[in-house]
Amino acid sequence: MPTPSSRYLRTAFVVGLFVILCIGGFTYKHISELSQTSKVVKDNYSLRSELELIISNLKDAEIGHRGFLLTHDSLFLNPYKESLQKITNNLSKLDTLIVPKGEQVEKLKELKGDIAQRFKNFDKSFSLANDDDTLLTQDLLFLLHEGEIRMDRIRADINEMLDLEQRLLTHNQEINEEKIGLTPLLFYGLLIVTLVILLLAYVKMTTDLKALKESNTELEIFEKLTKQSEIVSNTSTWVWYIEENIFEFSDNLYRLVGEEPQSFEPTLENFYKYVHEEDINNLGQQVNMMMREEELPFTSFRVVHKDGTIRYLKAYSKLMDDTEGDKKMFGVTIDTTNDVENYRIIEQRNQELERTNKELSAFNYVASHDLQEPLRKIQTFMSRLETKEKDHISESGQLYIQRMKSASARMRMLIEDLLQYSRTNTSEKEYVKTNINMLLEHAKTELLDSIEEKQAKIICDGLPTMEVISFQIQQLFINLISNSLKYSKEGVPPIIEITHEEVRSRDVDEINKSLYKFHHKITFKDNGIGFEQIYAEKIFLLFNRLHGKSEYSGTGIGLAICKKIVENHKGIIIADGKPNVGATFTIYLPFLK
Amino acid sequence: MNSDYINIALADDDEDDRLFFTEAFEELKIKSKVLLFKDGIELMEYLNDSANTLPNLLFLDLNMPKKSGLECLKDIKATKRLSDMAIAIYSTSASEEDIENTFVKGANVYIKKPNDFEKLKKVLSEVVTTNWQYQTSGLNKDNFLLRL
Repeated sequence: MPTPSSRYLRTAFVVGLFVILCIGGFTYKHISELSQTSKVVKDNYSLRSELELIISNLKDAEIGHRGFLLTHDSLFLNPYKESLQKITNNLSKLDTLIVPKGEQVEKLKELKGDIAQRFKNFDKSFSLANDDDTLLTQDLLFLLHEGEIRMDRIRADINEMLDLEQRLLTHNQEINEEKIGLTPLLFYGLLIVTLVILLLAYVKMTTDLKALKESNTELEIFEKLTKQSEIVSNTSTWVWYIEENIFEFSDNLYRLVGEEPQSFEPTLENFYKYVHEEDINNLGQQVNMMMREEELPFTSFRVVHKDGTIRYLKAYSKLMDDTEGDKKMFGVTIDTTNDVENYRIIEQRNQELERTNKELSAFNYVASHDLQEPLRKIQTFMSRLETKEKDHISESGQLYIQRMKSASARMRMLIEDLLQYSRTNTSEKEYVKTNINMLLEHAKTELLDSIEEKQAKIICDGLPTMEVISFQIQQLFINLISNSLKYSKEGVPPIIEITHEEVRSRDVDEINKSLYKFHHKITFKDNGIGFEQIYAEKIFLLFNRLHGKSEYSGTGIGLAICKKIVENHKGIIIADGKPNVGATFTIYLPFLK
Repeated sequence: MNSDYINIALADDDEDDRLFFTEAFEELKIKSKVLLFKDGIELMEYLNDSANTLPNLLFLDLNMPKKSGLECLKDIKATKRLSDMAIAIYSTSASEEDIENTFVKGANVYIKKPNDFEKLKKVLSEVVTTNWQYQTSGLNKDNFLLRL
């Protein structure tokens, strides 16, 4: 298909050629007209001279005639005859010179008539002179008179003709001058137009050449880059001219099969020599399909290098019809050995992970069942000792039993919390639209005993419906509320205020880099013992405690679980504390879609 | 069969638990006969023998060798003669999965083995004195796990 630029060039060329031809044609016509008028002018002059010659010849005839009449000497008849001959010639010349069908034709006719009459007159007077030797007879005198009159008429005729010819000449000269005046203008114009076209063509050609050079340089750079990138990225390209069954392989395709660039003739058969024998059939089928389908998914196959190494290749091709209807196939072949190996490693790691996960859940089971079972028995046996054998145990023995009881109670708590923590880690993440108020109510029910015991007040102004893992959010609420209950000030009934608002992520510093546009902000504020702000991040770490075990019971897992749960929901939790004033836990949970 | 006694059966492979169980019933002073089975096979052999008296209430541990409590539960509910028997699951774990499975398979109540003897006594007396024949109608998943 011609590009717009080449089409433009062609149009300009055709227009230029047309203009030059037009001007050339016009000039040719003009010059031929000019030579025509020049000829007319020349004829004009010849005509005049002929006419004048007629007069002079007539005079010669007259002189001869008179001489003869006077002398009767026949010697005088010679010039007369010559003149007659000359006049006849003159008249025949005039015939060719005058413009046919013009005014002059009539005049010439008249002139001819008059001349003929004049010569008749001459002849009559000659015969009279020959018959009678007397010099001037009456008849002769009469003839001489008549001859004189004829002569005057001839002069008048000729003068009229000369006048007319003079007018014609002036007219023709005017035309001629006019035409001659136009000629340089036309030549000059032709020259200018040609020059302009030449100049335009030159400018266009230089700019085109420059652009061509630039794009050539770009192409060269591009080609080098392509070669470089093929080597770096282990890819290669090829073209298949299907009609002629000719292939072009890029250098790197040779390298991909372990050969030097262009070291063998690029044909399908030669390439097949490198394909793994198990893959040849399939590849052949794919190649046949390629010719029919315009686009196909990737075809994978293996090649074997001379040294026996096996590489995994992947080919992709696209069928193209160019404007002449020649079918061409453009293909890309990529070495995916690294990907295949990486995929295998990842697969292996995934299997390992799966195994580890299974082990972990097995551990969960061990922790929940097997570890708890002996502990439960220890506790039960201790409770048996405490009641059944009470009378047989000394006071210090009783104390030991109490200590053992609290130690095993703590162990139970640890096991349960750990279990809870690992459950938030491994359980399936299924986000369900849930009314969060309901989860808060469940949490409150769960903690009913301690809420009542502490006479705690929980104020909540209403929570939204969100997409959450409901049991985890419930656990989050339980942990946060029980945390507030646990660290309440002695003698002061705990008040927990729960508030909610929707915030735009970019308006809040802590979450302005979040991928989600909006967040739920849920705040738990209490009036407990609070904490120093420097511990605000530490309290979320596993097994981290700010207080001695004897002051406040706890495993240091509760808030770590909270953090885990919030992270499972792609949110963040922030703690703010002021000693003896209270603690505030702020949770940002994104709007999950 | 003497109707003064309540027939109670326990299938549990753990010797200590069987001991706590019998001692608890001794101390509870409920007129009861306690049958003990060491595993699921032993239990099912007894139950499937039509010559034997069926217990009024069966306590079933889940984690047992040879035949698990869950398998026993399935078999019992599939046998017409046994299907009306009240069954209390008596297990150390209280995982959601176990609770869900046993509830669906038709157990009446789920007891997590307490870690205090007094609590055990309380739980057992609660379960034994409940009339499961009437209780079944109001059975739901929320009160399936016994909380005291």
